[in-house]
Amino acid sequence: MLTPAVLYITLLVALPFLLALFLSLTNSSAGSLQFSYVGFRNFQSVLANPVFQRSLRNTFIFTFVSQLAVMVLGNILARALMKSFRGKSIARFLILMPWAAPISLATLGWLWIFDSTFSVINWVLKVVGWLGPGSWYYWLGDATLGMAAIITIHVWRMLPFSTVILLAGLTAIPNEVREAAAIDGAGTLARIFRVEIPMMRPILTVAVLFGVVFTFTDMSVVYLLTRGGPFNSTHVLASLAFQEGVLGGDVGRGAAVAIFLVPLLVVLAVVMLRSARTAEVG
Amino acid sequence: MQTRRQFILKGGKLVAVGAAAAAAGPTILVRDARAAGQLKILQWAHFVPAYDKWFDPWAKEWGSKHGVEVTVDHVGFADVVPRATAEVAAQAGHDIHMFLGLASAFEEHVIDLGDVVGNLEKKYGKQVELAHRSTYNPFTKKQFALSDMWVPDPGNFHKGVWAKIGMPNGPVTYDDLVKAAPEIKKAAPQMQIPIGIGLSQDIDSNMAVRNILWCHGGSIQDKDSNVVLNSPETLAALEYTKKLYSVGMTQAVLSWNAASNNQAFNAQETAYILNSISAYRTAQDNKLPVLDNYFFTPALKGPKAQLASEHVMSGYVVWKFSKNQDAAKEFLTALVDASRDSMLGSKLYNFPSFFGAAAEPGTPLAKKPESGAAWITAQCNKDPFGSSPPDKLALLAKSLPWSTNLGYPGFANPAEGEIFDTYVLTDMFAKAATGALSPKDAMAEASTRAKQIFDKWRQKKMVGGGGKDK
Repeated sequence: MLTPAVLYITLLVALPFLLALFLSLTNSSAGSLQFSYVGFRNFQSVLANPVFQRSLRNTFIFTFVSQLAVMVLGNILARALMKSFRGKSIARFLILMPWAAPISLATLGWLWIFDSTFSVINWVLKVVGWLGPGSWYYWLGDATLGMAAIITIHVWRMLPFSTVILLAGLTAIPNEVREAAAIDGAGTLARIFRVEIPMMRPILTVAVLFGVVFTFTDMSVVYLLTRGGPFNSTHVLASLAFQEGVLGGDVGRGAAVAIFLVPLLVVLAVVMLRSARTAEVG
Repeated sequence: MQTRRQFILKGGKLVAVGAAAAAAGPTILVRDARAAGQLKILQWAHFVPAYDKWFDPWAKEWGSKHGVEVTVDHVGFADVVPRATAEVAAQAGHDIHMFLGLASAFEEHVIDLGDVVGNLEKKYGKQVELAHRSTYNPFTKKQFALSDMWVPDPGNFHKGVWAKIGMPNGPVTYDDLVKAAPEIKKAAPQMQIPIGIGLSQDIDSNMAVRNILWCHGGSIQDKDSNVVLNSPETLAALEYTKKLYSVGMTQAVLSWNAASNNQAFNAQETAYILNSISAYRTAQDNKLPVLDNYFFTPALKGPKAQLASEHVMSGYVVWKFSKNQDAAKEFLTALVDASRDSMLGSKLYNFPSFFGAAAEPGTPLAKKPESGAAWITAQCNKDPFGSSPPDKLALLAKSLPWSTNLGYPGFANPAEGEIFDTYVLTDMFAKAATGALSPKDAMAEASTRAKQIFDKWRQKKMVGGGGKDK
């Protein structure tokens, strides 16, 4: 009964991962099937590269900020959706839309919204008087604004999934628990932080774990929006790996960049899953 | 016969690289049937869409005349290399693959087209030098690709604005850009970016920064493939760009993609860009207000040279895994034979790599390149696609002397290709221009990376030089 699952994991997860690990120790290039073992030379080379160092930092900023925003906003939306109001089904549909939209199409739309010459945001800010003559936000031409744009799109994209998960968690908490907390004198904040969030810890952990792994390994937003620019300052490890390994043809180096964070992700996953299990048992 | 180890390694590489490439671009379904008489061609989606409307039926018609079923698949220009990577890993896919620029990294997996080029030269005379330098590896002595066309990269200027500042014929030198930028700001304050030369991670910026480098006497490699980026000439090019950026550009140019300079110029948000005529054809097709002010200049003169990179250089390869190599060679020969139709099909965007293929029929071999050049000049002097005035594109006919190949002053090679595709040079220029690094530090950083890349390819015995690296 487990055979299909085992086959799936072996062929599509374990094998490519082991091969990526192997390739990272070789001088493999895209245009050739010949390669030789080079030990840790690729890792030494990428570690000394300032673009890699910047990408590593960006990956953590990208993941941390976007996950924080997704969790906070997801909680707010989930709580709003628990209440009854007119047009709730339409609101729910609209909230889920970004999850269903193909990322390439959506990013093209965002590309125009953040375009350095024709940004809709800038034109609106100009009309309302926020931007004076000669002032302009170069969203994709500035490293900080570029990262802000990337994080915005990623949050927009991840929010529906997180909202749905949190909504399921909130719905699963029996009303009696909330009523008991209210009788004991707990205010809204105390109820959220001392009753609901602890009870939702297993589901929150799954949401955070999924979000972190997904964000750590995502390259699509960066690649479609900034291509890592300006001057390679908005790359994350996944997009840098693609640039080095596929576009640049240095497969060994690209693989070294791609798998760099695997040990950290494994540790993170183990810790979070243990924490979730402890919470369930408790 | 493969060993188990070879099989596993090859299969693994296929999975890893194929998955990455598939994630990057549109999926192309390649039919598995490999019956004799099939020819599958992977081609870019041309910047002038009219070309694809000419090419696809032409290819099919060639096929029906020769009893070959021809399939043409188009991908965006950015997906040409990832798709090639995936097909090499799979050792399956198309028979013919068109590259834009540098196919040299794939040399090991393509057949030698020396016989095809030799026959074409016997028929039409020599191909243009920049095509030869883009498709031949002097180190391995392999003709790894065939170029049927190249594209000039002139300056595009807004005549109305430049006339207002007393330069109705546009800039002539790189210094003119620095002098004109503050004047343009005064004369056309509504324009966001007086000088629109990209410094971003895209193909046009990659060409533009090479132009600036070469015109200041610098280059990545010398003619013998030694890395010479670390030089006073490179420093001069970076200092010039820093000055130009401060007086005439904005951060927008750091974020541009291949279409951005076209869009900015066509929206009259910039007065000068470096581009082929595709943006102009778009302005024509859409009857944009900029059209009356849309004019061209030759490559700008720098302190040391007047040079511009080709904007596009076709490099058709035939994979070793192709089952129809003879048909592929015949097809490529026919494509060069059709150089006149190809140039007209692209609305004068494509220029023949074999000028002789555009000669008047019946011209003796020795006179063919000259006759072809005369035909090309006639088209440019009287644009059949409605330019006003009709000789607006006349300067393109004289673009060969100031056009050169990626890799100048040497040949195109895989190291130059990797530097191009990983944006080492645009990174260096953008960092120096914005002050993110001093010009000297930006040059040192880029030079270190360039040497690493060259060393890697030298170890693979695909690039020469190294004895005189700076």
